Amino acid sequence: MIEYRSDEGKITCLFSGRMDTEESTRVGSELIEKIKGQDLSVVFDLKEVDYVSSAFLRICLKVAREMGDDRFSVEHVKPTVKKVFKIAGFDKIMKIE
Amino acid sequence: MTSAYESLNEILEKSVRASAVFSQLDQEHTDRITRAVYKAAMDNRVKLAKMAKEETGMGKWEDKVLKNVIASQMTYEDIKSTKTVGIISRDEKNGIIEIAQPMGPVLAITPFTNPTSTVIFDILICLKTRNPIVITPHEKAAKCSIEAARICYEAALAEDAPEDCIQWVEYSSRKLTPEMMSASISLERLSEEAYSRIQLFRTLVSNRRFALILVAAGSDVIQAAQSSGNPTLGASTGNAPVFIERTADIPFAINQILISRTFDYGTSWSGEQAVVVEKAVAGEIMEEFKKKKGYFMTGEEVGLLEKIVLDKETGKISMDIIGKPAFQIAGMAGFEVPEDTAVLIAPQDGIGDDYPLSGEIIAPILTFHVADDFQQAINACIEVNFSGGVGHTAGIFSNDEEKIKEFSLVMNAGRILVNMPSTQGALGGIYNTLHPSMMLGCGAAGKNITTDNITVSNLLNIQRITLRRLNERYMRFNKEKYLDESINAVTIEKEYNQNY
Repeated sequence: MIEYRSDEGKITCLFSGRMDTEESTRVGSELIEKIKGQDLSVVFDLKEVDYVSSAFLRICLKVAREMGDDRFSVEHVKPTVKKVFKIAGFDKIMKIE
Repeated sequence: MTSAYESLNEILEKSVRASAVFSQLDQEHTDRITRAVYKAAMDNRVKLAKMAKEETGMGKWEDKVLKNVIASQMTYEDIKSTKTVGIISRDEKNGIIEIAQPMGPVLAITPFTNPTSTVIFDILICLKTRNPIVITPHEKAAKCSIEAARICYEAALAEDAPEDCIQWVEYSSRKLTPEMMSASISLERLSEEAYSRIQLFRTLVSNRRFALILVAAGSDVIQAAQSSGNPTLGASTGNAPVFIERTADIPFAINQILISRTFDYGTSWSGEQAVVVEKAVAGEIMEEFKKKKGYFMTGEEVGLLEKIVLDKETGKISMDIIGKPAFQIAGMAGFEVPEDTAVLIAPQDGIGDDYPLSGEIIAPILTFHVADDFQQAINACIEVNFSGGVGHTAGIFSNDEEKIKEFSLVMNAGRILVNMPSTQGALGGIYNTLHPSMMLGCGAAGKNITTDNITVSNLLNIQRITLRRLNERYMRFNKEKYLDESINAVTIEKEYNQNY
């Protein structure tokens, strides 16, 4: 599941549940289309996310590359998901808060 | 940067990501993936065995089927109930709770002698422990190895395993392996292609993103892996002696040795390579071998065979004879034996460099050593054991427990097999309760860190939650006494252990 909240040049993507391969693939292309070429910053809010798949990590990488590291951040990660970002080394290429 | 390096880097990045995703899986999901992979491997056991035989030209496809069965069914039955995720044990009394954590990306260097079975085995133990795996197959068996990996990967994905949890290096990076290991190698003298292969292999094994290397290969490759700086579990070469002690059931012993030595035409390092017997029973043993199609070579034939068993350039076993039937090997040497000959047997009066057949040979060839008595027989076994097979495997046929013990205490072998075929016995799960494994640890002598039959317990980081439990003896001991130089160790020990 994904829900968008726009606020003064910032779009927050609120994900919820298991971001497994199927769900990530479903929301991924829609999300990329939504933010492509826009002059805004993007926040992924993961407070309701319990599991992230490789497909979800790919979305994070894609958005990080599209936006640059100063306009993209991942927020409210649960410990199990934070560990995933840490092992994958994503904390070095994007803001994880 | 060449495309091969880019490809390697991409593989590693994907593997690290797979490792991250794997860390979230629970035991139930992990077990579902493991079961799916085992089933797929079993369903393809015959196809993969035939592919391996066709590609390598070595061994028998029927025996390679059994190797695939050991790697898939036997291994699965052995590991399926093992806890490998989260809390795996609780010792309330001592206050120790153990948590199993994955290690991270594993590099698996797989051989040409047991190509598909090793790939299946490595994949099963890696997935059961939530470790992604990158396979670099031997170039002589790349096609069948990659097919085995592909089959396993598809099955894993169908159970929602992390993407890229199984990957393989498609280009050959091991062609010049002996050269790679030589510290004195002059890289300038190599062709550009050779140079780039060496650098690529070194880059692969020394990449710090690998948590562990699993290597089943020749000593050169094992050394390369061990010197990479990454933790390494390696299956080394072997030179297994088997002692037929005089209390053994001789017909049974010969039958078992032949089951083993003819298995896949001798391609396993754990197979018996030297038969040691006592003079008192030598005649009976020779007759029994002859009855069962063992061919005792003449001195002249032994001489002819010695000329072809070793590769003239490398000084190691010739690739031409590995896994070939006995009659073909005899033909290559220049003498004829019946086509149904099970093994070529070379009577020897010594062991070591002057006796080329007494070294590590993976073909249906046995050396035959007659000793005056029990002590001499054991000494001969020690000579064989330390002549290229230290740490690996040794066998004995006997019904005298004391003699079995005496023999075992002086062998340096991870597995000492009693009254069973050595090849199949060492692999575990059929003739004994050793863990079924295609990776046989050879201990410190074999430059390994374990003598285990490698299995899932070797691929986990165990974290221990340690609850407060006071050491009463320490608590009641007057610690001031440690500071007093005049009080010696014996006095302290006595007081520390006083039981009022």
